[in-house]
Amino acid sequence: MTWRFGLFDSTFEPLASTHWALLAALGLPLLMGMLAALFPPKRAFPVALASLPILVSGWMLLSAYDQAGLLRWQWEIAGILLSLRLNGLSVLLLLMTQVIGVAAALYTPGYLRLSETGPLARWLWPLMGVVLSALSLIWLATDLLTLYLALELMGLAAVGMLLLSGKVPALVAGMRYLLLALVGSLTYLLGVALILGHWGRLDLQGLADVIEPGPVAWFAAALIGTGLALKAALFPLHAWLTPVHESAWTPVSALHAALVIKASLFILLQLWSILLPDTFYAPRVIAWLGLLAIVWGGLLAWRTGSLKTLVASSTVAQLGYLMVAFPLLLGPDVAPLPRALAWEGFWLQLMGHAFAKAAMFMAAGNLILATGESTLKGLAGTSRRLPLSLLVFGVASITLMGLPPSAGFTAKWMLLQAMIITQQWWAVAALLTGTLLTAAYIFRLFRYSFDETAPRHRYQPLAPGMDLIALTLALIAFALGLLAHFPLELMHGGSP
Amino acid sequence: MIAPFDALEPLEAVEMLLALCLTASALVCLFDRHLLRACCFFVAFAASMTLAWWWLEAPWLAAVELVLGVVLTGACFFYALGHVSPGVSSPLERDRFSEPWPRVAMRVFLALAWFVMVGAAIRYVIADMAYSPSQHPLLLAGVVIAASALGAFALHRHLLRRLLAFNILGSGVFMLLAGVAGTSASAQVLISVGLLVAWLGSMLGALLIRQLLHLEGVEALGPDGKSKESAT
Repeated sequence: MTWRFGLFDSTFEPLASTHWALLAALGLPLLMGMLAALFPPKRAFPVALASLPILVSGWMLLSAYDQAGLLRWQWEIAGILLSLRLNGLSVLLLLMTQVIGVAAALYTPGYLRLSETGPLARWLWPLMGVVLSALSLIWLATDLLTLYLALELMGLAAVGMLLLSGKVPALVAGMRYLLLALVGSLTYLLGVALILGHWGRLDLQGLADVIEPGPVAWFAAALIGTGLALKAALFPLHAWLTPVHESAWTPVSALHAALVIKASLFILLQLWSILLPDTFYAPRVIAWLGLLAIVWGGLLAWRTGSLKTLVASSTVAQLGYLMVAFPLLLGPDVAPLPRALAWEGFWLQLMGHAFAKAAMFMAAGNLILATGESTLKGLAGTSRRLPLSLLVFGVASITLMGLPPSAGFTAKWMLLQAMIITQQWWAVAALLTGTLLTAAYIFRLFRYSFDETAPRHRYQPLAPGMDLIALTLALIAFALGLLAHFPLELMHGGSP
Repeated sequence: MIAPFDALEPLEAVEMLLALCLTASALVCLFDRHLLRACCFFVAFAASMTLAWWWLEAPWLAAVELVLGVVLTGACFFYALGHVSPGVSSPLERDRFSEPWPRVAMRVFLALAWFVMVGAAIRYVIADMAYSPSQHPLLLAGVVIAASALGAFALHRHLLRRLLAFNILGSGVFMLLAGVAGTSASAQVLISVGLLVAWLGSMLGALLIRQLLHLEGVEALGPDGKSKESAT
């Protein structure tokens, strides 16, 4: 399992241009964010200009990986080993982060212009920069110290972003999120302390060689797992998620639901694959919780009357699909074929969900901005007046429901195939139930939007491009299913 | 094993005293309803942590703790109380929220379970601790502090007290880290990053508490922002 995360020695040294691309990918989002705080952009054009070098750096790293395969960087500073690796998966996740981050940044000027955001709006830019830089670092880092640092930077900046709207519910929800995230990181740190105390090192590649299953590994895995599950809003620890999104700004919600919670999940899977290789019970527990998450999140989204709560609750359910795949990824006695299928399905589902959820939050934000109402009932009559926003919502929900040919469909198909080969029928049932529930809450929303008897609202016109950006993200989620061979090849690549 | 823990008899007395100091100030800070006193005891606790790092031969860590833990984080709490910039709005005095008994019992049980789990984990990592727990007073203090801080975090509803509990929990975890992994370079950097994060978090929390007080009054600091105050 650990070789899939690229924890082995590389054949080639990175070229000089690759060093620069790495530096740009890690540092430029932060730098551009700072610049934007000094000179807040009023239009999307300067933002597009500033994000161009970031995208170029991602593309350069992709081509470097294409040519040389796995790349590693190591620095030793005062006895502390810091290391990074670039494998297919981290390139893929890095590109995903950059595309969604750029889309959110392009969406922001129009959004800030149209909604009354107050004087704190300029601080959104540097916080967004910190979140994107820290996320890029998380996909690349392979030692527990760098991971801890990046995770904390990302978490604190994310809390800051969610608070910017300044309303009382946002502050109360944000304070709760802050306290839980901080305690979660301390739990993680205690797990790291056990690892450092017992095996005396922090680099993942070295740890993968020396760690043996035993009580210390189990305790450390339990502590790290609890802390990260709290940050990733995995099922029983998800209660903070919905209130936080309820009053946050749209681009912030999009970034948070699409990327921030996924980072914790990524670290969780990576560390558990080292600490708990071929364990029976721990992944099973996660999978059963995932089953409950699918049902509970679906029911929450189905019963709610608020548009943003619907989108946020659906995140809880969609994370459930990823949790259900845990026994296939980490469990014992899984044949190579179902394990490879589950691995591909897991990451494709994660990426499809990230793009679709970002698009969906933007579409929901557009609808709320245009109608001035945040309830589902307030959507009445939007099918005629705001067809494009609803279309984006529809395309994004195709991926969430898993209808062909979206990324959600391809991912679920792979997961189903792996589950049928390993005869995990309850997981198959969970996946199918989830699809039905998703369809139920999505169609409930569309029923409201096609209601023609409602009184006419005055609709606020949207800024140009706000719908187009969301549509692009939704179409990427769609295309990931059609052109799945490209990401799948990257995920596969780099076997030793 | 770690050198300071195998020290001679009179040195052990110093270590025992430090451990007692830390535990006592942490407990007062966690369970005193008088908020100003609790914050003062937090500063005392952070100061004894500085001494403890000095004692464990980690002078850099002592310096970081002094700057980040005592001065900056302490300032955050006094700012949240309203004692730094006078006349902004009425300073906070006492925590008047109360919890129903079943909830208290549940949280105490949770803290005990946490205590047992952390203790067992540490026992596995440091094998000889099972035979002579009194040899590691600071480590024991760390386990007690971390467990009671987590219990207090789960128990209290007042946001300032939860923030205090988080900080004490952090210090307990750092002490466990130093006890388990020694004060190697990696451990010191991990703890320094942890202190930095705790300070940033406390600063954000203090700003939030002030803003909530300004917008909504003391009620907003209670259970999920709803008013559920008892009759004092």
